[in-house]
Amino acid sequence: MADLLIIGAGLSGLMAAYTAAKAGLKVNLAAKGLGSLHWGAGTIDVLGYMPGQMGAPVQRPLEQIQTLVQANPDHPYALLTHTQIAQALAAFVALSKDLGLPYGGAANPGDNLLLPSPAGAARPTYLAPRGQLAGDLSRSEPMLIVGFERMRDFYPELVAENLTKLGYKARAAFLPFSLISKRRDANTVQLAHGLDNKAQWAALDAALRKIIRPGERVGLPAILGMEAHAALLAELERETAAPVFEIPTLPPSVPGVRLFSALRRHLQGMGVRISVGMEVIATETTATNGAPGVVRWVESATSSRPLQLRADNYLLATGGILGGGFDSDVDGRVWETIFDLPLSVPQARADWFHPSFLAPEGHPVFRGGVKVNRQFQPVAEEERPLYANLWASGNLLAHSDAIQERSSEGTAVVTGIAAAQALIA
Amino acid sequence: MHTKSWHSVGPSLDECIKCNICTSYCPVAAVTDLFPGPKYVGPQAQRFREVGQPQTPDHSVDYCSGCRVCNEVCPSGVKIAEINARARAQIVAETGIPLRNRLLGRNETLGKMGSLVPALANFGMHNPLSRVLAEKVMGIAREAPLPHWSSDGTFGDWFKKTKAQRLKSDKKVVYYHGCATMYYEPFIGKAAVAVFEHNGFEVIVPPQNCCGLPMLSNGEFKAAGEYHQNNINKLLVYAQAGLDIVGTSTSCTLTLKEEAPELLDMDGENAQMITKATWDIFEWLRELHDRGELKTDFRDLNMTLPYHAPCQYRAHRVGKPSMDIMSLIPGLDLRESDARCCGIAGTYGYKVEKYQIAMDVGAELFDFVAKQGEDVTMTACDSETCRWQLEHGTELPSRHPIEFLAAAYGLYDLEKRQLI
Repeated sequence: MADLLIIGAGLSGLMAAYTAAKAGLKVNLAAKGLGSLHWGAGTIDVLGYMPGQMGAPVQRPLEQIQTLVQANPDHPYALLTHTQIAQALAAFVALSKDLGLPYGGAANPGDNLLLPSPAGAARPTYLAPRGQLAGDLSRSEPMLIVGFERMRDFYPELVAENLTKLGYKARAAFLPFSLISKRRDANTVQLAHGLDNKAQWAALDAALRKIIRPGERVGLPAILGMEAHAALLAELERETAAPVFEIPTLPPSVPGVRLFSALRRHLQGMGVRISVGMEVIATETTATNGAPGVVRWVESATSSRPLQLRADNYLLATGGILGGGFDSDVDGRVWETIFDLPLSVPQARADWFHPSFLAPEGHPVFRGGVKVNRQFQPVAEEERPLYANLWASGNLLAHSDAIQERSSEGTAVVTGIAAAQALIA
Repeated sequence: MHTKSWHSVGPSLDECIKCNICTSYCPVAAVTDLFPGPKYVGPQAQRFREVGQPQTPDHSVDYCSGCRVCNEVCPSGVKIAEINARARAQIVAETGIPLRNRLLGRNETLGKMGSLVPALANFGMHNPLSRVLAEKVMGIAREAPLPHWSSDGTFGDWFKKTKAQRLKSDKKVVYYHGCATMYYEPFIGKAAVAVFEHNGFEVIVPPQNCCGLPMLSNGEFKAAGEYHQNNINKLLVYAQAGLDIVGTSTSCTLTLKEEAPELLDMDGENAQMITKATWDIFEWLRELHDRGELKTDFRDLNMTLPYHAPCQYRAHRVGKPSMDIMSLIPGLDLRESDARCCGIAGTYGYKVEKYQIAMDVGAELFDFVAKQGEDVTMTACDSETCRWQLEHGTELPSRHPIEFLAAAYGLYDLEKRQLI
């Protein structure tokens, strides 16, 4: 039997699996489908904006977290010390090197990066894959944003025009689609797989050399190879003699897929069994009067009878409302999807949303989630865990608005690691 | 045509959030422009498929191989592969079915006919001239890895012939062999019987039909429904008696459990009883092991073995029980494939217009096998058509995991594929 069953294949579940497997635990991970890494930019957003201050991106996120948790002592970051958060992020960076997908931060350590979004906005994030770092808007080189004719979902003129409006030097150029693919149409993941073929690289190098002006850096859609990404990036920079960076596209996000694939492979190499397509539909728990209950097993749907998944410990990393960690109905009921854990959410549907869509204070429903104690164990009102062998991490946790704060991956990484450490201890 | 289960398959499309994860992992869309991907052909096109509509929105749905990788990776639970299968059936219902697909759907009939004079049938089907003819006239790819009829009788012949030697026991299990074991690979059935009996089970082999999957995947729903009803009629008495119905063909067991009832709206009490009674053999053996009742008197199988859990197996959503059990065999260095699909997808890769797509899809798996080193002499996979495709793509023999288990018990010769 496994020591730990993790439910959820997003960043938090994967980081918890890594932490637990590294400590020698036998870890199984089951997920309904693939996780939200496929939807994001592949960056680690720790804290991009302070709640209510959407005009000014956070410059020093780890320092600002202290202000954030003073104002919001229930925030998931408040469960950890400054040192724990810094160490967890450093552990992620170290792991990313082992994965062959190194992440880095701003030139000035501790600062947020400001990276161009696919709409040409300036997006604060703390850690980004090597392939996005040269896009940092704190750098001064003018940008050449290159798109490919007929490629869906990436419009270099839009990016360059909006960056220019923000005061950055940027211009746009198009190259023929045939340089990157012979397909009639392809999504970004398929294009990235296609660019793993080295035979195409020389033509792309040559076409870029023709349009780059001296001193420019080059922004391309994030399709620069899947398995061969690092080699392609190095080749482009060498052949064009210009810094090259990727701009994440609409989903599916190639940088997110790269991170997921590398993590999955690494974890499988550590002996973690990852099963996708398994939806947990029932649980078996025992309740004891006055003491925490115990999770005996969970059941997942199969083609026939439910399958019992058993472990000594269970970690919920099922995500927020988008990831599927909780669900709602039209009557305003909101519930946690696996254990029906108590949620902190406005009970009346009318209270879910602020009347103004873009209200700076955000929408109350997005702060909903599972309340945990300092050991990351789900609790009701008091600090006593509901179940002695149940933990939770990631965007399922209550009292943060990850969308508004731009704190989704940071929360996933640090609470995933911390929850695993807590259950090992 | 579809009433009740639109509530499961159909409305699940409303769960689609258009995230494109399915398209990103679809092994077919990755290699051809002829299939634009599960999201477009499934939940998106479905909104335009109305009964009685003069034109179906597209025919690209026929390029869906039915591997169900889309279902596996979908974070929202959309039944994409089933939406596609129904759309194909609607096209077949409206425009008819080509002779070739009608033939490929009739695995059982082909099996029976060929088994009458297997030597002649094998010569007739496998000589180069007839393969060229079959391609020109029928559209069956000349290189495609078609099976060979068993030259030493069917599984049924053997089981009857050895009746006196078969174990009698209070513990009984019902064996669903499927057509491939019956007519092409009786040694799989023999290995299964040996493993059942070694663990103290008496094996019952009741009359049974093709599960209907080849017809389901070629869009012939009506005929598939008749097969499934026949199987219900023949197997129900065993399910009612509380016996487990265990199969070695993982696509057959999936069809008995879920695909036929779901696609065909056959969700009556009897069909549900068959669903609940049916097991894939390694799922069943794992259960036995969990209860502490599986014999583990294994001898060493000193070999490196690449194992591919076929997409049909993953669609059971039971994890990888063959890995779980084979990993108990000492000396067996199992290498787990992460490849999405071998490409063949039942009868898909036999078709001349799809043969190359199937080979391109399978390249991921063939490359994985090649990377496992020089000393690899065999591969393992639970599905018959996938094993044939694996052999075709790697030029290495491929075996069912039950053959390795029987060999580890000392009951089976892996090279000669016969009982010891």
